[in-house]
Amino acid sequence: MRIGEIIGTVTLSRCHPSLTGGSYRLVVPLSLENLKGRSTERAEELVVYDDFGAGIGDKIAFSEGVEAAQPFAPNYKPLDAYNAAILDQIDIR
Amino acid sequence: MQLARVVGTATSTIKHPSMNGWKLLIVQMLQADGRSPDGDPVVSIDSLGAAVGQDVIITSDGKGTRELMNSNITPVRWSVLGIRND
Repeated sequence: MRIGEIIGTVTLSRCHPSLTGGSYRLVVPLSLENLKGRSTERAEELVVYDDFGAGIGDKIAFSEGVEAAQPFAPNYKPLDAYNAAILDQIDIR
Repeated sequence: MQLARVVGTATSTIKHPSMNGWKLLIVQMLQADGRSPDGDPVVSIDSLGAAVGQDVIITSDGKGTRELMNSNITPVRWSVLGIRND
């Protein structure tokens, strides 16, 4: 899971039936330099499926690829990014 | 399996239930020189007690991690396989 910061919300009008009712967040993945506070350069954002009601500014651990759909097994959704955890505290040294 | 350096730790209360009780480490994968960072840091689960500053071997074998966590629905992919000695 990479670490990302939530910068917005995405709403879907027409979507795959299994995706209706879900919440989607716009997330920017954080590099080591971002986490250390040494860089404000922003990587490209991605859309992450969110079950936990995460808010703007929250730091999350998001799963990508196969593991993003795994929580819904065996009723898989076509997701490639999933909010696995809202991170309360991040300590980098 | 990849070589990575433990650069930090993370805590979370609101998370996927399969992750309850698992230590979350923030690890930075390294390039072939063993020093330069390779990509973004990732969150890995750890049962071996690796400390910040140590080098570890992590695996992206999701199936292996699901077996380690005894959960078929966990979203976790990365886990620590070993801690480097020297």
